[in-house]
Amino acid sequence: MAAYETEVLIIGGGIAGTTIARELSKYKTDAMLVEKEMDFGQGITKSSSTIVNQGCNVVTFRPEYHNSRLVWAGMPLMEPLCKELQVPYKKIGSLTLFKNRAGMRRPNKLLSRFDEWSKKYLPHAKPLQLIDNDTLHNWEPNISKDFIGAVYDPNIAITDPVRLTIALAENAGQNGIGIMPDTKVLGIATGTEKFVVQTNKGTIKSRYIINAAGEYVVKIAREINADDFVLYPVKSYMAVLDKKVGNLLAHMVTSEEHGTVNPSVHGNLFFGISPGSQRLGKIHDHATDKIIADAALEHARKLVPAISKKDIINSWVGFIMYRNFEMGWHECSVGVSRWVPRFINASIGFPGICAAPAAAQEVIDLLAQEGLQLAQNPDFNPNRKAAPIFHELSDDEKRQLIASDRRYGQIICRCETVTEGEIVEAIKNGARSLDGVKFRCRPGMGRCQGGFCGPKVTRILARELGISPEEVTKKGDGSHYALYKSKELLEAE
Amino acid sequence: MNLQGMDIDVAVIGAGPAGMAAAIKAREKGAENVLIIERDTRLGGLLHQCIHNGFGLLYFGENLTGPEYSHRFTEKLLDTGARALLETMVLRISGEKEITAVNRRDGLFTIKPKSIVLAMGCRERSRGNINLHGTRPAGVLTAGTAQRLVNIEGFLPGKKIVILGTGDIGMIMARRLTLEGAEVKAAVEILPYAGGLIRNEVQCLHDFKIPVFLQHTVTKIYGEKRVRAVDIAALDANNNPIPETKRTIECDTLLLSVGLIPENELSTAAGIKLDPVTGGAVVNEARQTNVEGIFAGGNVLHVHDLVDNVSWESEIAGEYAARFAGGKKPPAGQITLKAGRNIRYVLPQIISGKNNVDLYLRVREPQKKVIIKMGGIQVGKTIPGVKPSSMIKLDLSAEDQQKFKRNEIVIDCLTKGD
Amino acid sequence: MQENIKIICIGCPLGCEITLTIGQKGKVEDMWGNSCKEGKAYALEEYQNPARILTSTVRTKNCSRPLLPVKTTKPVLKTELMQCISALARIRVSPPIKIGEVVLDNFLETGVDVIATDNL
Repeated sequence: MAAYETEVLIIGGGIAGTTIARELSKYKTDAMLVEKEMDFGQGITKSSSTIVNQGCNVVTFRPEYHNSRLVWAGMPLMEPLCKELQVPYKKIGSLTLFKNRAGMRRPNKLLSRFDEWSKKYLPHAKPLQLIDNDTLHNWEPNISKDFIGAVYDPNIAITDPVRLTIALAENAGQNGIGIMPDTKVLGIATGTEKFVVQTNKGTIKSRYIINAAGEYVVKIAREINADDFVLYPVKSYMAVLDKKVGNLLAHMVTSEEHGTVNPSVHGNLFFGISPGSQRLGKIHDHATDKIIADAALEHARKLVPAISKKDIINSWVGFIMYRNFEMGWHECSVGVSRWVPRFINASIGFPGICAAPAAAQEVIDLLAQEGLQLAQNPDFNPNRKAAPIFHELSDDEKRQLIASDRRYGQIICRCETVTEGEIVEAIKNGARSLDGVKFRCRPGMGRCQGGFCGPKVTRILARELGISPEEVTKKGDGSHYALYKSKELLEAE
Repeated sequence: MNLQGMDIDVAVIGAGPAGMAAAIKAREKGAENVLIIERDTRLGGLLHQCIHNGFGLLYFGENLTGPEYSHRFTEKLLDTGARALLETMVLRISGEKEITAVNRRDGLFTIKPKSIVLAMGCRERSRGNINLHGTRPAGVLTAGTAQRLVNIEGFLPGKKIVILGTGDIGMIMARRLTLEGAEVKAAVEILPYAGGLIRNEVQCLHDFKIPVFLQHTVTKIYGEKRVRAVDIAALDANNNPIPETKRTIECDTLLLSVGLIPENELSTAAGIKLDPVTGGAVVNEARQTNVEGIFAGGNVLHVHDLVDNVSWESEIAGEYAARFAGGKKPPAGQITLKAGRNIRYVLPQIISGKNNVDLYLRVREPQKKVIIKMGGIQVGKTIPGVKPSSMIKLDLSAEDQQKFKRNEIVIDCLTKGD
Repeated sequence: MQENIKIICIGCPLGCEITLTIGQKGKVEDMWGNSCKEGKAYALEEYQNPARILTSTVRTKNCSRPLLPVKTTKPVLKTELMQCISALARIRVSPPIKIGEVVLDNFLETGVDVIATDNL
């Protein structure tokens, strides 16, 4: 088993851990990030609605909540971050719908409070607007006629959170952070000067630990009795609709009681139940159930009646880690453990994607506070070049790309028009499993959900990684795509 | 060959049974330059993975396997001098009949044939389409994907199998996996009867004593990384699971055989009108869509149960596509056919009233001793039994059509009592 | 000693369940449940000779395609299917093979051959 020594060890490669790693790579320091899964952003991050720049809803976001302050501070950071890393980012705006005059009390309160608070907390935000019935249905002809107006938030944008997370990990790696996927923490002990962390890949000694383990943040903290906080996991449910109905909406739409429906950067529509309306879930149980799914669909159809069950192509649950159940989701736990020095918990709360950039900056301050010397990294390169995306190119660009590499002329995933060239590039950039390839360049994300391309991507993975096809997994050890070779079971008899 | 701007009479998209039959017929009917575009490495499409027999009983009067059926058409196709482009994907078709496609050798290119036959076949409904709940582990796959793994790629998805849906592919995979040494622990069907052909029910399920659970469904999938078990439960009259009947079956694989969807994303983009029931284009007796010069045949039009019918139907499309390329338009549609009592759909949806036409019908519910009436007039003989999974083919003579009084004709499937 | 056995007819979508009463020495003494005479003939044949054409694959060597599809030239008794399958699991074939070529001859000395159903 290998032994590693470092100054800072980040546990968890979700949006929190990778943003921190990337922020840390701006400084000359010895740091590592471990992620238990084969790829990054495969926990809570993956289940995100993809919405960023939330925060202008100052009825729910409030200065006394740590998470709200992070979300506000993060608003001006998100777009430049996505640009530097060449990750999709699209401003779509949101419409918070209301049904009648009585329903306008809340919007009026929101607008007046926004005027009051925005100068102080949200200096970068564009103002909210009240939208009348005609404008609303002119903008969004497919929303239910039950709604007579909306508050328009022009700041709301969408991204691809998993791609962002992978890009952050890649960029942090390029700038000198040791990035280790498929590395699971098995135990943590206090050494003389450094923590001693046991993993499946060997022992890692580190002076500082940043616990960004998402759903597992309490479990990791408990390893060393640094769990001086309680988290309440709450299930959220999201579903994705076929691209053919992707044009039902241009904006994110939401209402107080009916969850959210929003376009994705890839042209699908997502809908989900907002966490506030969900009951507590059993932690680590990622099963969807009929009750949540039916409720989510019913709510979504209240907003956009044309949404149909038959257009759902996938659905999933995520967890939101409530810091304080009574206070809702707005609190989070970013701070040095009260009981264990040099151990920083970074459970960034909900919405996590929005909170991550500012949380990362805060963690850097905490490291400095705890005595870490932080000198600027003069070689830091903020820019990452994204792999080409065939279907987004013009015909001429497509021709040029194929001329430069013939593998871009071979379509592997028909539903999402993904080429062999893109899959090979994804593997070159670190994809090791079917999900790794899928979240990087989308084969299997479409309407047939990998029925057609699954065997083909499996063969490409096997070829590029130099393994046999039955060693290929969906998402790491124990998730093999095919379990046996032909005739193997007959020979065993 | 230089593809960009190449002179083509008929372009056929897809070289499965439908595409091959259409291309052959187009050549036979005088189209000079016929180009068939296929995304796979071989001609034949899904026939290669259908290694079981039962193909060609009607078309050839022989009991062939999928690869054998494919072989006959492949040989013939090559003899006719039609050109084939393999490993080529069509990216879009415009309403002006421009096809943009891509492959490794030729890159991205656009052709403008005089007519087009759509023969893209169909795809399987996936897990998301049927809202299957539980976790999302490896080991949940469609029966057709499993068929490709087992019969072509050389892998078995697992050894303890539960199959949801008793479509033909599902039942055939139950037998196939049993013969590969796996244990099929249950075939679960929502309907009160098996979904596919009787032949498959007997020879794939009964022959191997596979436990069949009718009016049941899978209610939950267990396992984080790989499928560990599934829950199944009986359904009440409203198709809701009855909690007391829930049982857990340990397995490592869940196969889905829950229906097929015609693959029409290219068609919609070309402005082709689809029938919401079949999921395929609305066509006339020439199998021409609402876009002049674009024809369709086989599973892209409606999901067949027998490949023989796929071939015959696509030959019609191929023939009229060749004629269109030669400047002859198909007969104008006069009469609209509508599904009536116990009829789910009828194809073609529009007929001219002037030619003999083969009608394809599907019923909604199984019935015994039925007659088919069109506009109140009986067509054909009494049929001993009908089932939704077995398509009914009906010869409609030009003479019969003379009797039609209106330009909208309702088709009913009736028993004596009706 | 009489015994009733049930056979489902596959002749048409009706799928009639035909009951055969089997007497001493396996003689069919009565039959009911069929809707037509083809059904009767089917049930008799299925009772007397329950055999199936077997379709499967054999493994290849020195070939990019791992499997070759095959079938038996004649129906194999249902009771002998698994033996045939085991025999097929033991052989490996190399290209070139022509469709229709015998890959396993006179299986279990039954006069049944296994032939390729595709070119390799």
